[in-house]
Amino acid sequence: MNRRAFLQSAAVTPAVLAARLGDDLPKYRIVSQYQPAAQPGMPGPYPGKVVRVHSAKSIDEQTEKVDAAIVRDMISQGMRALTGDADVRDSWARFFNSGDTVGIKVNCSGAPGIMSTPEVVGEIVRNLTGLGIKPSQIWIYERFQNQVNTVHYDRFVPADVHIWTAEHDRGSIAGYDPRTYVDVNFFGEDDTRSNLARVVTEHVTKIINVPNMKDHGAAGVTGCLKNIAYGSFSNVARSHAGFKTNTYSFIGTLASVEPLRSRTVLAVMDGLRGVWHGGPFSPNRKFRFYPKQMMFGTDPVAMDRLLLDVIDGKRKTEHATSVWDRSMAHIKSGPGYDDNPRIDRFVREPGHIEYASTLGLGVYDLAKIQTRKIEL
Amino acid sequence: MKLTFFFAALLPGLYWDLGPNTADTVKPASIERLFVPPAQQSAWTAAGIPVKAFDITQFIKLPSPGVERRMNVATATSMPWVDANGWRIERDPHRPYYYDVPWRHAALAAAEAYVYGAEAVVRLEPRDLSAFSQMLAFLKEVDLPAMPVLANIGIIDDGSDETGEVFNLLARRNLLYRIVRSPEPQYDLNIQIGSKEFPKEEALDPFAFATLVRQKLTDEKRYLRIYGSEVVLGQLAGDAKRLRVHLLNYGGGKVEGLRVRVRGAYQHAKSAVFGIDNAALADFGHSDGGTEFTVPRMGPYAIVDLE
Repeated sequence: MNRRAFLQSAAVTPAVLAARLGDDLPKYRIVSQYQPAAQPGMPGPYPGKVVRVHSAKSIDEQTEKVDAAIVRDMISQGMRALTGDADVRDSWARFFNSGDTVGIKVNCSGAPGIMSTPEVVGEIVRNLTGLGIKPSQIWIYERFQNQVNTVHYDRFVPADVHIWTAEHDRGSIAGYDPRTYVDVNFFGEDDTRSNLARVVTEHVTKIINVPNMKDHGAAGVTGCLKNIAYGSFSNVARSHAGFKTNTYSFIGTLASVEPLRSRTVLAVMDGLRGVWHGGPFSPNRKFRFYPKQMMFGTDPVAMDRLLLDVIDGKRKTEHATSVWDRSMAHIKSGPGYDDNPRIDRFVREPGHIEYASTLGLGVYDLAKIQTRKIEL
Repeated sequence: MKLTFFFAALLPGLYWDLGPNTADTVKPASIERLFVPPAQQSAWTAAGIPVKAFDITQFIKLPSPGVERRMNVATATSMPWVDANGWRIERDPHRPYYYDVPWRHAALAAAEAYVYGAEAVVRLEPRDLSAFSQMLAFLKEVDLPAMPVLANIGIIDDGSDETGEVFNLLARRNLLYRIVRSPEPQYDLNIQIGSKEFPKEEALDPFAFATLVRQKLTDEKRYLRIYGSEVVLGQLAGDAKRLRVHLLNYGGGKVEGLRVRVRGAYQHAKSAVFGIDNAALADFGHSDGGTEFTVPRMGPYAIVDLE
């Protein structure tokens, strides 16, 4: 292990954490040549602060048609409430300038049923170009080409915006940086590396994280942390085997890797649609719901803490197992999970959000999270 | 390290049973070792094409190299099963081998036989003749004087099926081994199945046994690590100054961005990739006592020479 790798490893395994969790955690080795920014993007300038904007008219539940004008208003109000500026342009200018190359980490794992809504992404791009950032300096990115192909972001953004995926062919690691990775052996797999997407290390200076509000069969929920972590690294599905998943510690560990942590400066959680069971995929519409809200912040832990209650609340309403339920009685392999919300495939690990807070990625304690709610 | 094995430069032969009326198809392939059914031998010779009579009883038939995709429902991911023959050849290196392979497997079969130094004959689908011929030309071009094979592990072969399956699983996971008669100190780990350290009952589960071997060896000591593919198997030959890395892709398609790590600090590298002219390595570098590089794209076979 070289010195930089050692220092990063030391940074993510503080003694207090080791004492609490003992030897149960996998042994992670982070290799990166990048140093953290003076103020890393996560949790950024607004730790523990979340703005929630709700509009009942933002999406039609029958047709799933999104009202772009309302989305524009939601984003404007959300950003201004987050920064305290009167002019939304000033809000965006706190994070970005014309010299930046900006990545937009979308989530298309549930596409075409649910994804970072093109109207939302289009409005984010519009605000960025309003700061003088050229379309060619904007990179919408995701891991898998086949998923992005179903969304057609190109119809909602200027032609020169890059729409980039790490894996044109599923499983290829050519789109990942061979020198920036997390090495860990979970279950005896031979390929023990998860590499960071090249777009993060080689192209962008800042990243906007645009997750959805979704249940996740392994992690409990998938929001800011999982989207930026599992969505930016290769070879992450290996963290699940049998009923066991290592999402508890892997998600936060990945999110803490530089330069991903420093460059991810803003999160816009797209909760126009949501998935309350079967996530992160959404082949079955009966498990989709419509929170009709968006969250804004720089603290992924605080935002995901609120998301936990959204998803678990909906699951309770639907008489599904709680995301906190660790009973083996509900765990079954095979196809039943896809159709039955009282069946789980893995022991869920919603604790991954609290774990990420111990890595310094944000505020987990609800009592310390300041939530501003806006109703349109 | 010890000179335990040498790669042979004997290129695989072709078994062709379609008759001398197909001579115009075979001639352009420039096959040096052409085998035909004994009954056709004289007709081929009369047609001016030197051939040998093929006596199948003199050959050991090998399974077609490749992969089988088996869905592992427990993990929701696919775990390919690799059919590779290197371990079979190493177990009995002096016997002649015979492949009878479906379409698109002939080039891989030829490369596999070459890498493991087997005297082999390949029967193929006629539409694979061109790929097979191109592979032979490639092998001829890249062939070097023999060098010793590098391995971390020495294993004493008791000849049992269980031990054979252990060889298979070790090879499958790029845990490089050599078959030895008795423990040899140059290896990082010596294995005698049935010993106290490696009980016979452990070997009944070859997957678990390979995991045990890996734990005892440790990843840090491994001569070879491959990242970014579950279907590429490697073999190393060389000495303290130079190293040849053989990479066999059993997946059937192209592999992109294959990352390779070898133990030791090498300063210069060049590659030859079957089917790709002027192939170059990417992201060459050193870390923690190893040399790493990326093979941007490869089909069934690639070679990397390090100095």
